[in-house]
Amino acid sequence: MAEIVLAVAASHAPGLAGLYEGAPERTKADVDQMYGALEAEISAAELDALILIGNDHLANSKVLEYPDFLVGMAKEHTGPFEWFKPWLNCRDYSLPGRPDVAEALLAGMAKRGIKFFGRRQNLRFDDNLSIPTVLCNLDTHGVPVVPILQNCTVPPIPDQRDCYAVGQALGDLIENDLPDGMRVGLFGSGGLSHEPGGKRYFFIDQDFDDWFLGLLEHGDHEKLLNEVTPERMERSGEGGTAELFAWFVVLGAIGGRSCRRLGYTAYDNFKCGVGAVRWEMSD
Amino acid sequence: MGLEAFNPNLVCHELIQDLKWDADLRAEFENDPASVLDRYPLAPDERSAIDAGDFRALYDMGLHPYLGGQFARLMYGNAAGPAATRAVNRLVASLTGEERNDDRTTT
Repeated sequence: MAEIVLAVAASHAPGLAGLYEGAPERTKADVDQMYGALEAEISAAELDALILIGNDHLANSKVLEYPDFLVGMAKEHTGPFEWFKPWLNCRDYSLPGRPDVAEALLAGMAKRGIKFFGRRQNLRFDDNLSIPTVLCNLDTHGVPVVPILQNCTVPPIPDQRDCYAVGQALGDLIENDLPDGMRVGLFGSGGLSHEPGGKRYFFIDQDFDDWFLGLLEHGDHEKLLNEVTPERMERSGEGGTAELFAWFVVLGAIGGRSCRRLGYTAYDNFKCGVGAVRWEMSD
Repeated sequence: MGLEAFNPNLVCHELIQDLKWDADLRAEFENDPASVLDRYPLAPDERSAIDAGDFRALYDMGLHPYLGGQFARLMYGNAAGPAATRAVNRLVASLTGEERNDDRTTT
């Protein structure tokens, strides 16, 4: 029986690396504090595998054949993908993969009636994996990663209840299908409010972000599932805020756990509300 | 302006994703966009909108906004700083119908 020993979630945005130097000092301090806390949590967890769930951003599959969940099965994950480098302005990185865990995810989800797709080649990673990697130093810590890139933007989109159900299946799979003693971490990567490519490109809805983080801290999953709907997310940023579906996968996998806000910052040039949380897994 | 008009069949999606993924094609597009556009079976109004940089029209035809933002960068500059700022300004101006002179250095 494997165990989920770590569950965290945090925003990604290219500007967190690419525009960091030009950000206000207070913003930089907030970013350092949040991602530094995440790094410490991840490092201390001594993970055998970190399953990172994040928006694919239409980076790996054509619109006409778009999977809802795509698992990175490579032995090594490298990034960022060439075209995104000018946005991110971060170091190149290499992370160890866990092809065995990736295969277990595909087989175990199929057994549970959920279609995951997989790719053995290196995926094209943008800020979804690159920001957590370089801000939490996943590469220097040698954390083995299994990325699950999900469809947050191409209709029909798996909604909060679909993603929560996928998370429940994932939690069951980790507990029952992965090897005894394996220490697994979950990282929901994406959000908070933002509207990439829309009229409100620089819009951040701080009220929404605070409300959502508060709901997580309150811990009532049914309330989250009832109120954080696609329509509500779209009002706070079309085509971007829905990245929070990754956080619902984590919620489904871990069930009712207390949640702590690690920080939040809203700097308009990041074009994204930036926040981070951790769930208490030793309750 | 969200996904309500989204049309997965729009050929422009394939063009944008190919440009993102293929550096050689991207270089060709930067030097001679017409030669690249001619190879895609774009509808006449789709091609006209691309030639005019009319993102509003492309969105109304069903262009996915996320790829619209990236198309602006492919057309007007991808590098963080002035190029990306120009791309964002052109995109937002087209979508809103209002000139935009935001001079923030963006990415």
